Amino acid sequence: MANKRAAPIFRFNDQRARLVRRTVDRVCEDMDNPLLALNDAAYHETRRLDGSKRAKDQERLERWKGLARRLGKMTQGERELALRELVTEYAEDIAGNFDPRVFSFSTRLVPTLVTGLLNPSRLVRSISDPTSLFSIESLRDKVRVEGDVERLRRLAEIGTLVFVPTHSSNLDSIVFGFAIEASGLPPATYGAGKNLFTNPLLSFFMHNLGAYRVDRRLRHGIYKDCLKTYSTILIENGFHSLFFPGGTRSRSGMVEQHLKLGLVGTGIEAYTRTLLAGQERKVFFIPSTINYLITLEAETLIDDFLEAAGKARYIIENDESSRVARVAAFARKLLGMDGSVVIRFGEPLDPFGCAVDGAGVSHDKRGRRIDTASYVRDVHGNFALNAARNNQYTRELGLEIADGFRKETVIMSTNIVAAAAFELLRQAAGTQDLFSVLRVRDEIVDRDTLAREVLRVRDQVVDLEKSGGVHLHEGLHNISGGDLVAQAMRAFSGYHTTPVIQPRADGVALRDPKLLFYYQNRLTALGLGYDPTRTAVGRAS
Amino acid sequence: MTAPAPIVGVIGGGPWGLSLARAARRAKQSEVVLHTRRHADGSLPGIRIVRDFAPFADTPLIIVAVPSPIVRSVARDLGDHLSGRHMVVHGIRGLSGEELHTVSQILREETPARRLGALGGPVQAPELHSGRASAMVVGSAYPDVTATVEATMAGPWLQVKTTDDIVGLEWASALMGCLSVGLGYAQVRDDVSPGLLAALVSGAVDEAVAIAKVAGAQASTLYGLGGYGDLLASMALHDRPEVVVGRALARGASLEEAQREAELRVEAVELVPRVARYAQLHGVASGFFAALADILMGETSPEAALARLFGMSTRG
Repeated sequence: MANKRAAPIFRFNDQRARLVRRTVDRVCEDMDNPLLALNDAAYHETRRLDGSKRAKDQERLERWKGLARRLGKMTQGERELALRELVTEYAEDIAGNFDPRVFSFSTRLVPTLVTGLLNPSRLVRSISDPTSLFSIESLRDKVRVEGDVERLRRLAEIGTLVFVPTHSSNLDSIVFGFAIEASGLPPATYGAGKNLFTNPLLSFFMHNLGAYRVDRRLRHGIYKDCLKTYSTILIENGFHSLFFPGGTRSRSGMVEQHLKLGLVGTGIEAYTRTLLAGQERKVFFIPSTINYLITLEAETLIDDFLEAAGKARYIIENDESSRVARVAAFARKLLGMDGSVVIRFGEPLDPFGCAVDGAGVSHDKRGRRIDTASYVRDVHGNFALNAARNNQYTRELGLEIADGFRKETVIMSTNIVAAAAFELLRQAAGTQDLFSVLRVRDEIVDRDTLAREVLRVRDQVVDLEKSGGVHLHEGLHNISGGDLVAQAMRAFSGYHTTPVIQPRADGVALRDPKLLFYYQNRLTALGLGYDPTRTAVGRAS
Repeated sequence: MTAPAPIVGVIGGGPWGLSLARAARRAKQSEVVLHTRRHADGSLPGIRIVRDFAPFADTPLIIVAVPSPIVRSVARDLGDHLSGRHMVVHGIRGLSGEELHTVSQILREETPARRLGALGGPVQAPELHSGRASAMVVGSAYPDVTATVEATMAGPWLQVKTTDDIVGLEWASALMGCLSVGLGYAQVRDDVSPGLLAALVSGAVDEAVAIAKVAGAQASTLYGLGGYGDLLASMALHDRPEVVVGRALARGASLEEAQREAELRVEAVELVPRVARYAQLHGVASGFFAALADILMGETSPEAALARLFGMSTRG
């Protein structure tokens, strides 16, 4: 196993000042037109801050208004100076921190806390055996990690890993961090929403675990350039990284297929720059999925998805993840069941979307070995940074990542039963129209009918799994429809504020159509389950 | 100082491949390597003839101009000699299989090349061959590909337009090839007035746009030089193979006779019925393509076909 302590992040604090300086220098050097960039920033920031009653915001607003007034009269040198000051401020704000002591502490603390939430009596027992507190084994049954971990460990020694997982919960970075740790992989730095840093406890850990801050409220080019450049420089310098290419948590519960590729694209630029510097360092993307039996914030997320204004609410600050009691209830629920979280590391890809073997060699679709560097040579054979070309490579990489998301998705009992139940709701509504189906309340379905529909959906998933298109959760391949329903019912019960489905004397009550919709949506990207944009082709009548 | 033109590789010794090789040579005096079994080395001034694909490892720009049924096997063999550095563009008017995969998809599957492009537009082999002024379109999602092709092929006698909608250009080339058969068919009929012909062409292009959009093409590409422009040129190109086939069929010739008359392979003959089926599968109206398929299969008389097409063109 690779020595994790050799990972560059353990030297982060020594390099922090240099990384920030290089970010500032590069952003300023590459800025063609400081006047245009500063005007754009002033416009966006003035619009954002206008109307805010917070004193800090008002102070900032005045600063921006002042800058906007002065910009036209400034000399080129003064504009460049203003740009440098702003970029320095942003780069300092973005750059994270890494404290090995906090890292070491947290790797022991996370399993302990989670174990305690799961089984408080274990904490009592640990008084006589304190070492049991620090057993990572206790989490292994609850959070399963799957995929070719050995290959990833080898790749981590050859180049820089960039993990790109699906995103459905604010717990993702913690759970994924655990998966990395439990797999013996080196820690990865990642961009976390600045809103998460408002929680003092989370903020303490994020600050000290290599997380860098992403302020999603800032929409102007200068800030985006700072963020991308910082990420590029981290990757160039071998810092293993983690991005959520979905950009934000999946509101619908669907596996993300339309990815935001801004940070993903930094992988190609970083790789090209290492070639230009004569120090090739390979970059490997690892599409991964985080699969929950139930989702902490499902209720808020699906409400947000269904609201007309939902798409505009990019940052949710008041969902279940900000309520300690809800998080504890969720953890107790989830971790009371084996394999309730499954993380799958997918097939590694190079920055051009080509498959990569264990030796870090890329292969084309026919399996031929490829010299990866050849993709960034120009027509005369020279290495070249070419943003337009790289954007297209990144789009193609995005398609491969999305494909990886589909293939590495693990379908759980809750997803199958929700898909079956939602189909029965749809039949009861007699329409394909989503909102008509969602209005059907407390529909009671016959147990055998539900079990039959569950088996139909399960068999579709099994067929897809045979062709490598998805994974069915362990233990679901051969169980009866009734057992599958019972398993999902156990998972659903007791956490969500409204029971999702509930046993009744005369059948099963489908209580919460919105949550059924949310959980069944996991199947949509696979071409299964209900899709409001599709007609009812291939459905049971 | 201007960088020297890259070495251009051309694959395909038919009239189209040969014309592209000549055009590349003529435009910038590029060194040209042509893979063909029809010509001997030294028989074409300024063009090096090769029999295998190994020399293409050194040609950063490669133009593939082979018939669509063999493009996959050619690409597979060629792929052994390529790397990510190569730019591969094709000038093939075909779409493969019932799913109507584009040739660039096949090149993507069979070679390590990623910087792919397609050629289209009204230019025909005889114009390229003789250096008569014309225009072509190069499509690629990679701007360095379109820039390289433009820099290599454009000259006072050849305008090269660019688009990033490679899917649209490939579909436009294939579908306009199909419609050129219909155009030839209608042109020789005494009962088709210019007004009716215009209505037929306009309706057929709208239908082609709707079908191509299913595959992700942009309507503007099909309404541009690579689509409508290509079809307009067919009106004046009486010797364009697709037009020749259409004319022969309208005169009552069998499909076999019509193809013989065209002398060259016409991709559209096999493509038309597949396009009609594809459109039907995706719920897109395909009256023109279905009628054209019936004409090609000999399942309708010229009079009945025109009545069907005329009925459609006057609807709405």
